[in-house]
Amino acid sequence: MRPVVLEIADIEVFRNKRKTLAIERLEVPAGEILAVIGPNGAGKSTLLQVINMHVAYTSGSMVLFGQDAGAVDKHILRRRCSMVFQETLLLNDTVYNNVALALRFRGLVEAEIKDKVNKALTNFHCAHLSSRLACKLSGGEAQRVCLARALVYEPELLLLDEPFASLDSPTRNALLTELRQVAVAHGTTVVLVSHSFNDILYFAERAVVLQDGRIVQDDTPEVILRRPVNVTIASLVGMDNILPCQVHKYDDGVYVQLINGVHFPWRGEEQSKTAFCCLPGDALSIVNEPLPYFKNPLVVTEGIVSQIVPGIGMYRIIVETKGMSLTLRVPREQVASKVSMGMPINIAFNPEEAQLV
Amino acid sequence: MEQIFSGLIQALYLLGAGDKEVYEVALLTIKVSGFATLLSVAIGVPIGLWLALKEFTGKRFFLSLINFGMGLPPVVVGLVVSLVLWRYGPLGMLGLMYSVWAMIIGQAVIASPIIAGLSFAALSGLNPKFRLQLLSLGATQWQANWLLIKEAKLGLLAAVMAGFGGVVSEVGASMMVGGNIKGQTRVLTTATVMEVGKGNYDIALALSFVLLIVVYGIVALLTYLQNSGGRDGL
Repeated sequence: MRPVVLEIADIEVFRNKRKTLAIERLEVPAGEILAVIGPNGAGKSTLLQVINMHVAYTSGSMVLFGQDAGAVDKHILRRRCSMVFQETLLLNDTVYNNVALALRFRGLVEAEIKDKVNKALTNFHCAHLSSRLACKLSGGEAQRVCLARALVYEPELLLLDEPFASLDSPTRNALLTELRQVAVAHGTTVVLVSHSFNDILYFAERAVVLQDGRIVQDDTPEVILRRPVNVTIASLVGMDNILPCQVHKYDDGVYVQLINGVHFPWRGEEQSKTAFCCLPGDALSIVNEPLPYFKNPLVVTEGIVSQIVPGIGMYRIIVETKGMSLTLRVPREQVASKVSMGMPINIAFNPEEAQLV
Repeated sequence: MEQIFSGLIQALYLLGAGDKEVYEVALLTIKVSGFATLLSVAIGVPIGLWLALKEFTGKRFFLSLINFGMGLPPVVVGLVVSLVLWRYGPLGMLGLMYSVWAMIIGQAVIASPIIAGLSFAALSGLNPKFRLQLLSLGATQWQANWLLIKEAKLGLLAAVMAGFGGVVSEVGASMMVGGNIKGQTRVLTTATVMEVGKGNYDIALALSFVLLIVVYGIVALLTYLQNSGGRDGL
């Protein structure tokens, strides 16, 4: 069993007399790559700043590397961590001096500094930028340098506060991949805060969802993607279909009724305040003809194709079905030359793929 | 116009001919205003840093006082410092009245709020997360503060130039607490006022040009420092 690097219990943080963070329990084992997601103002950055001891908590406890963060010198614990912010925050100096900064703080000799800086710059493919001024770097280059600076002293815990938010998608994905490789190779524990669920799917093995300062879901990214616990999280993870619905209890069981009249039996957990049914786009498929339920466990509904959005591998098809819009993600071969705008089609889905929130 | 031109010629002549009295006055001007500026930097920059980094009740009021201090009339400062240093004043026992130290104190009172206010503005212009980033990389509080000061170098040197400009050009406080004593507390501004009082406009103009040349020399040096690299890391 891996030792626990971070252990938070019943922490509360207030800002301007408003509770911004209330974490009942959070444990992060050594070497884990954890993502923190949530809507704006959920407390994600505050959580990172609490972990890095920039923000004080009013109650609860935090144990970092087995030591009570409230009782030990912050500076000592902080030197075992590293944090990267959304802004690059590089000094008006050369790339080399920026990356060497943390090593100079620790009083290393120049030969050792040179060796470590060159290694870190090479890891993030920016050794050629060594003598360049930080202000002359592009956004992607600057963020690479920031990552090299953060990892040059091999911290045990790396905190990333949306570092890739301002980068284009290919650069983000490349950096995430490189960062993950370096983190795994060194056994670094990583906590990544991000708005982009795509980043999390690329990067993390576990994700916690924050909302109003509280953890509302703690699971693997895939489970959060397909089984969000509420409508806010469903929107956040980019759930294709968040459909208004009603839940009815009959003698033979519980049924979910969508606003287009389609209803299907529900065998999952009963939700007391269910208002929406979430369906991932890839859970919906095009069927050639409607099939009665007794022959097929799939729920089938009819609709008219209103939009076709091409994509690599998967196409997105928007279908209007009796006042309700459904988004399907279907393989290209099912769409090309077979589906056209205005065409009536039958759509089917397995009720077990649905998530009520 | 002709008078101004002849004043400039005379100023160059005085400097070129190595006029001992002018050199002494110019040197004392640089010493007094330079030392007062250094003292003001030692007081003003930490106050500016503290104001930029700390949030506390009454901060706005404190800032308004600093901003008010940036426009302190030198005559009022001279009067107050005189009363404090006067023989029967609270610091009268130090015997500083009509000395170079009295002038330095008076000028430091004028320049400190200027440097504090402009330092605050320069340091507030930095991203507030900068300090957190430095601390999270393992910097001590001192290391982080020093790097912030280096990062705000452009604005801080502008503050120093404004402070120096404020004190080297003032006459009221220097006259009141220094007394314009020949060979002891006479600086370029007080000497200029004295020559105007005597009706020697050409000498007054020449001294003014010497003052301008001295000020330009120092400001040019500070401007060079402001725009120089300084890339030695820590």
